[in-house]
Amino acid sequence: MVRPLTPLALAASLLLPAPTEARPLVLAIGGEPAGGFDPIMGWGHYGNPLFQSTLLRYDAELTLVGDLATDWTLSEDGRVWRLRLRGDARFSDGTPLTAEDVAFTYNTARAAGGLADLTVLKEARALDELTVELELTEPRITFVSRLATLGVVPAATYGQGYARQPVGSGPFQMVEWREGEQLLVEPNPYWHGGEIAFERVSFVFGSEEAGQALARTGAADVVAVPPSMADAAPSGMAVLHVETVDNRGLAFPMLPDTGETTDVGTPIGNDVTADRAIRVAVNQALDREALVALALNGHGRPAMGPADGLPWDNPEAAIPGNDPTAAMATLEAAGWRDTDGDDIREKAGLRAAFRVLYPASDSTRQALALGASEQLRGIGIDAQPTGSSWDEIGALMHSQVVVLGWGAHDPSELFYLHHGDYAGVDYYNTGHYANPVVDARLEAAEAASSFDASLGEWKAAAWDGETGFGPKGDATWAWMVNLEHSYWVSDCLDLGPLQIHPHGHGFPITHDLPSWRWTCE
Amino acid sequence: MKAWLPTLLAGRLVRLTWLLPLAAVGLFTLISLAPIDPVQAYVGGRSSQIGPEQRDAIAAAWGLDRPAAERFANWLGQLTQGELGQSITFNAPVMQVIATRLPASLALVGLAFVLSFVLGTLLGLTAAAMRGRWPDRVIRTLAVALAASPGFWVAILLVAVFAVGLGWLPACCAMPPGQLATEITLADRWRHMVLPVVTLSVVGIAPLVLHTRQSLIAFLDSPAAHHLATHGATPLRLALGPGLRHAAGVALTLHLAGAGEIFGGSVLAEAVFAWPGLGQATVRAATGADAPLLMGIGLATLLFVFAGNLLADIAARLADPRLRRPA
Repeated sequence: MVRPLTPLALAASLLLPAPTEARPLVLAIGGEPAGGFDPIMGWGHYGNPLFQSTLLRYDAELTLVGDLATDWTLSEDGRVWRLRLRGDARFSDGTPLTAEDVAFTYNTARAAGGLADLTVLKEARALDELTVELELTEPRITFVSRLATLGVVPAATYGQGYARQPVGSGPFQMVEWREGEQLLVEPNPYWHGGEIAFERVSFVFGSEEAGQALARTGAADVVAVPPSMADAAPSGMAVLHVETVDNRGLAFPMLPDTGETTDVGTPIGNDVTADRAIRVAVNQALDREALVALALNGHGRPAMGPADGLPWDNPEAAIPGNDPTAAMATLEAAGWRDTDGDDIREKAGLRAAFRVLYPASDSTRQALALGASEQLRGIGIDAQPTGSSWDEIGALMHSQVVVLGWGAHDPSELFYLHHGDYAGVDYYNTGHYANPVVDARLEAAEAASSFDASLGEWKAAAWDGETGFGPKGDATWAWMVNLEHSYWVSDCLDLGPLQIHPHGHGFPITHDLPSWRWTCE
Repeated sequence: MKAWLPTLLAGRLVRLTWLLPLAAVGLFTLISLAPIDPVQAYVGGRSSQIGPEQRDAIAAAWGLDRPAAERFANWLGQLTQGELGQSITFNAPVMQVIATRLPASLALVGLAFVLSFVLGTLLGLTAAAMRGRWPDRVIRTLAVALAASPGFWVAILLVAVFAVGLGWLPACCAMPPGQLATEITLADRWRHMVLPVVTLSVVGIAPLVLHTRQSLIAFLDSPAAHHLATHGATPLRLALGPGLRHAAGVALTLHLAGAGEIFGGSVLAEAVFAWPGLGQATVRAATGADAPLLMGIGLATLLFVFAGNLLADIAARLADPRLRRPA
């Protein structure tokens, strides 16, 4: 192991002043993509793709800005994106990135059957060296999320094995990936985005405990920690709570029980929650601040809708909650009264009772179910918290209330959760909600001529003054809390402004990694 | 002279020819019955970005839309060509996944195997030689306490004391963070192995200590030992001389036969120490219902345990000539 150079190198290192910032940045935030770093198979959809760059990107306020693209337009009919690429983008092997590479990436990803959903793409074409055109099968404005998440790969060298030896035009290049253990990256000298303050960045994988132990021995600079551990940051590190739309709420079955079943024979509908008054009363009654304190140790914020604080969120649609008086008035007016003195209301012989299902393995959802149940008992609704397996939940989620969680940087989630076409499809619209007005709004949003123009339609789908899927309208959900994602961050590190994070703790924090800075000498 | 060996090997080979297909069918049935949808597991938290059509495309691309019997037949077809299939979790051939991770696991399991054998046998012998005195009691208490301690708890305890508390040893990983494999010295590698190997050894040590102690005591109480003792042999000498041969045979058989348990324990140890071995891959394959990879790992483990048992039988026959005669 001893090479003749070693004593010489040792002497040299003692004589020369140590280069500043030579220390590698060590992150223990999980998120190892087992399948490798191939955007075509889905790498890079959360956080920073590290090795590749995207056509557009979201900034800290979640507005779209150019990355590889300098100009972009969407045709009148909303079906053709034309993007002009910057001329100075190069892959980490030094070859220039051209429109051919972009077209190749999009066409290949569409056909790959991986985790990049490009089913709406008809064809990508390179018009000239730096102009690319993406033609869709139908207008779909949420396609911009793909423009902001799909990293571009080099057409010339992409092939088998790319996932484990990625070459891209992103801020970093791979130095070594010891699978299951560590990823080492260094700045890509050809990157078009500016200086990076780190000569080397190390991502340590493995268990949460391993990351915490590394932090305690001073060997890690950013560590993802569970909320229960957050306040016990070791010396030299500070705790950072990041706001998220990683939300949890109660999904209501919207149809009455007519004996109808799904294709696999599971029941659909619930006579109690099919009554809008019940759903509105739940929204009015829930004390979300108390739920944050109870289930999240205070590390979270009340959730009013599926996308709190994101550009397509409509705060007007919300009902503030913690108002049992109003909730009881709603129930009274709808004819729900306690006639037999058991403190639970009835209407025409039907008890105001339903189960609240949660996965028994998830302690946060359990605490939310128990807390909500306790609060609803106060207004005369018997919500029975029931821990189950996901299997069982899958069978009962169309006929009982379920604690579910969503939260993405992509408004198409609103479409999946509330459009009639997705009734009973996977976990999307579990309540079989269908409102023609809302469906039309959602379709109009997808058909909008620009992302900004779509925002108004998304908001109107939640509440347009008369109807919507939000609590003031059909109250399809009672959203409860948005989680906070907790990290320990070295006192010597400045992360700059942070986005509201999506569902998924850990890797999203790397979104602005290239602009992080050391603050200590 | 070793006429018993070919008979033994032939018998085992026959056993393997029915055991392997049986295990393959059993494994595949279990995986198919598991309440995990591989497509959902693959999509994971990205549900909102993967529409239903793309899910169908994923299922089609990985052949998950076919009936279980057909998938099994496909897998068998690949097997006849020497292929173990493609892992959906790792997006790579199963053979490659196992090949890249097996060395790390084998290093861990192998070292732990040797360490626990040496330690366990020595402690057992010492306890028996000192029967009833305080070293015996300390060793026995330790063995019982270890037998009752779950492996992951031992691991966390060791990290808390030796890595976080005293700072002597690294808390995780096979190498220090932030360094390339080529920049790391052999000493670094050894330092990183200490805690995982100790954890893994400790898990398998208790039965070994107690069994060795018991078989040596049986020898010490035998007429042969009494005869030697009256000629002036001390208990310690008896234990490390003729006693060792009596006890070591039993210990080795027990230890080899229990090799599967160390292998199983490595799944936990690898998770706690972020050790890049097969154990970690097994956990990911299981949570992702990754049938080809689970089958590959399952069959590899079967061969490993099978080899352990075979070696145990051979070792037992070498140690005790009486076993070599056919029953």
